[in-house]
Amino acid sequence: MVFVLLALSILIFYLTRGLLPPTTALAPYINPRLTDAGKLSIARAVGVATSTCPSFTDFASLQSGCVTPLWTQYFFWLKNVLVGNWGYTLLPGISGTESTWSVFFGRFPYTAELDIVAAVLTFLIGVPLGIVSATHNNKLPDHLSRIVSLGGYSIPQFWFGAMLLIVFVLYLRIGGLGLLPASGALGTTCALCFGNPGNITAYTGVPLLDALLSLNLPYFWDSVVAIILPALTLAITSLGLLTRIVRSNMMEVLRQDYITMARSKGLKERSIIYSHALRNAILPAITVAGLLVTYLIGGSVIVEIVFSWPGVGSAALVAADVLDINFLELFVLVAGVIIVVTNLVVDILYAVLDPRIRY
Amino acid sequence: MGQTEKNSVESRRRHSELRFALHLLRQNPIVMAGLVISVATVVLALLSNLLVNGASWHQQALTLRLCWNNPAFSWPVTNLFNCAGQVYPLGTDAYGRSLLQMIILAIPIDLQIALEVVASAVAIGVIFGSLAAYMGGLIDEIILRITDIFLAVPWILLAIVLIVVLGRSLTTLTLAVIITWWPWYVRLMRSQVIGEKEKLYVERLRMMGAGWPRILFRHVIPNSIYPILVQSTLDIGSVILTVSALTFIGLTPNPLLPELGNLSNQGIEYFFTAPWLIVFPGLTILIISLGFNLLGDGIRDIFDPRLRR
Amino acid sequence: MSQPNTQEGGDDVLSIQELKLKFHTYAGEVSALDGIGLSIKKGELFGLVGESGCGKSVTALAIAGLLPPNAEITGGDVILDGKNVLALKPEEMRLARLKDIAMIFQDPMTYLNPVLTIGSQMAEIPRAEPKLFISILVTHRLRQIDKQVNGAKPDPGLLAERKALAHALDSQNLRRKEMDQLTKSYAISLLKSVRLPEPEKVYKMYPFELSGGMRQRVMIAMAMMRRPKLLLADEITTALDVTVQAQILHLLKDLRSEINTSVLLITHDLAIVAEVCDRVAVMYAGNIVEVAEVDELFRNPLHPYTKGLLASVPRADLAKTPDSIEGSVPDLLSPPSGCRFHPRCPKAFEKCPSRKPSMIAAAPNHYVSCFLYGG
Repeated sequence: MVFVLLALSILIFYLTRGLLPPTTALAPYINPRLTDAGKLSIARAVGVATSTCPSFTDFASLQSGCVTPLWTQYFFWLKNVLVGNWGYTLLPGISGTESTWSVFFGRFPYTAELDIVAAVLTFLIGVPLGIVSATHNNKLPDHLSRIVSLGGYSIPQFWFGAMLLIVFVLYLRIGGLGLLPASGALGTTCALCFGNPGNITAYTGVPLLDALLSLNLPYFWDSVVAIILPALTLAITSLGLLTRIVRSNMMEVLRQDYITMARSKGLKERSIIYSHALRNAILPAITVAGLLVTYLIGGSVIVEIVFSWPGVGSAALVAADVLDINFLELFVLVAGVIIVVTNLVVDILYAVLDPRIRY
Repeated sequence: MGQTEKNSVESRRRHSELRFALHLLRQNPIVMAGLVISVATVVLALLSNLLVNGASWHQQALTLRLCWNNPAFSWPVTNLFNCAGQVYPLGTDAYGRSLLQMIILAIPIDLQIALEVVASAVAIGVIFGSLAAYMGGLIDEIILRITDIFLAVPWILLAIVLIVVLGRSLTTLTLAVIITWWPWYVRLMRSQVIGEKEKLYVERLRMMGAGWPRILFRHVIPNSIYPILVQSTLDIGSVILTVSALTFIGLTPNPLLPELGNLSNQGIEYFFTAPWLIVFPGLTILIISLGFNLLGDGIRDIFDPRLRR
Repeated sequence: MSQPNTQEGGDDVLSIQELKLKFHTYAGEVSALDGIGLSIKKGELFGLVGESGCGKSVTALAIAGLLPPNAEITGGDVILDGKNVLALKPEEMRLARLKDIAMIFQDPMTYLNPVLTIGSQMAEIPRAEPKLFISILVTHRLRQIDKQVNGAKPDPGLLAERKALAHALDSQNLRRKEMDQLTKSYAISLLKSVRLPEPEKVYKMYPFELSGGMRQRVMIAMAMMRRPKLLLADEITTALDVTVQAQILHLLKDLRSEINTSVLLITHDLAIVAEVCDRVAVMYAGNIVEVAEVDELFRNPLHPYTKGLLASVPRADLAKTPDSIEGSVPDLLSPPSGCRFHPRCPKAFEKCPSRKPSMIAAAPNHYVSCFLYGG
């Protein structure tokens, strides 16, 4: 696991620092009013210029002996990263500071909130759809739910989000306002919004939780109203895989001998499905959790742009535009950590839940 | 039985299996719909230059010229610009070009990129996957670990970084998507070859003294490549989704390029004044990818021996 | 004409008449049962013997209503204790499976759910229809209490429990928690009665922790839990080795006497039939060809197929190697015309392919379907 993360960091490092000129890494620190010597000392402090380099112009024109070799740069960077020093970012922070770490993790709770709500929705919709599909194999409910799951898999995420916005903001209007808010994490101008919900204390940084903890129900409601459409967009486009796996697992399980045995005992069909079949069918389905997390994080980038959601996904695009390497590196590695940890948790969970593996 | 007789029995069996498969295909309306859509897309792509002037996408209006004048339908937005004469069935984009024409021009471009991506990813996947599976040991470990690394990142982040670093062009766009897809094909091919190399005929070939390249390339790969080909058909639709997602967020070589995601990109800016800019290109992407996905899904169901009753 | 019922329907637990069944497959239609008939008396251990693929298991599935979706019953009746099983609605059939018919299968490993404990797989039976099991559970517990009370000083707690239970029995009402407790103790005592060591431990175990013989005993215990009228045992000893086989069979015999259940024992092994059965039917390619009491059948086999089967059993007391029946089992997609055995029959003559011979009584209580004896 650690190996994968390490290798990932090497990959990203080489992609960014190796293929871009070394001055890119200096962008957040360099103030055009600085003197040449000042810029050079910053370049040395960040680890890209050698101590033997005579001047900044030499460094910028890549004179030999001026730029530290990539390997050395990497270890310098790794040392810093492991103590949590991610340098500075070009992106504006929420509270005005500009350290990469604080900007990233200032926005991260929004993305996390969106992804978690979307994950819950994916399960709540996807699993029953798969069960229905399997138990009514080749009949109308099966065809319909296959269309839904396959459709979700074929829909462009940006289009689906846009369509939801058009329906719920442009078409369904009450009193001149759209039903749901058009953008942002807090609904301000919409028919169902409270509008002026006051303030909350940031206990966790996650708006939904903080609103509950601050006992500010109007704020909570406005946050819920704002998160519905983007979360639904993410969920509908991600549930195809889950539904398909639940369906095929379920169909396989229903063909097993112990299901025939359960029927021969005179049990009700519904309890057969829920106490016998489901247990055996769901277990392999949790292995897609890692994949799902990957989809959700990646999908956040697009969905956040469509809904102007203040998370790290929308910031990533801005970072890409201005070549903000620190931010992108941090994003990639955080995503990598989340995915690797999810896979680990899934493996452990699988062993815990399957009594055969335990012994 | 002589060799020729064995071959003809084998080919007769495959022939009747094919007929049986086609029979099942005809019975399944969903798959037929997928087939129809996919074929229609390809035909449209081939004919696009006949329907629309291929150079018309270069023209650029000097001022903003968004308009909608299709009498059949109107949008609940204010300030619709005037179209000045011509009727545009799907309105115009910000550069004053007919959206319908741009969509028609975009289809072959998207399809071409998708085919390039799929072909390259399949090629890489077949080579590395079968090498990993057949050689086993250290080579297998290394290749597997490399795919692990690539799969530990959400694809879009990797693609963004790549395009940012390498610059914006059609080549880098294609490359970025290939980087996203190849690990899957490596894994798929690997699992196929792992199963295939245990079969008796491989053992026999080895005993006859055939070298591993000959066994691998002449026998094992052609016998295990079938699911890969099925998967790649399925993936054409998904690749178009991927490419259009990347151009939608702005990683495009040329903002004027008629590409389905690119056309929608204008839609973010003008969302509340011209929603058709996102709706119609997106709808086209949906239909095309749905067509290929339905087709691929149906083919997979038909040839899955477990699900066949 | 199928085998006539020897008595008025009253004493028969099961009566199958002219049952015809076919399967729709991609390759075509398979004629699995070609008008079979048999009847089982109350408390009888009835053997159904034949080669694999002759339709024995299908018969059992048809009785229990567990046929796969591509099976179609094209004629005949299956009367269980007066009710025509084929005419039942699915919900009624399910209740019949719960209370009247119990089925035990060949390979207990695949027929038990691997992720649930033995106990939960037993306890779910009464939980499916609590009302039906109140009497059984309460009576059983009362009997336990009586055994404990009939001795030293009666424990006031037990006496109070007995009173409460008697009341529950009258009112046919039991709380969920008490139901669960009674179910558990009943299940454990059943596990004991099938001679499983440490039944309380077994109750909490998972199927993979038990041996094949133990799992089969669990299946029998699950069947006995419902005190069914008819027990269908489909090749239950095939997956076990010989010593365990004998134990299981004798267990079955003893339980049959205790509860007075009728048993349909399906097997391909004549030795098993000789060991435990009262009467036996021989089946070939979807037809019943001979029915008789066990001693009579072994002493005086009539049908050429039965003779062939008996001759093919290896015997330690004879010097020669056993004979096998020539030819192979017919393809039921296009079965032979008339008597389905005629292509392999050493005694076949012109009449045989013409039509199926009817079942007649060639000797007292000994029925055979063969033109050699008339029909």
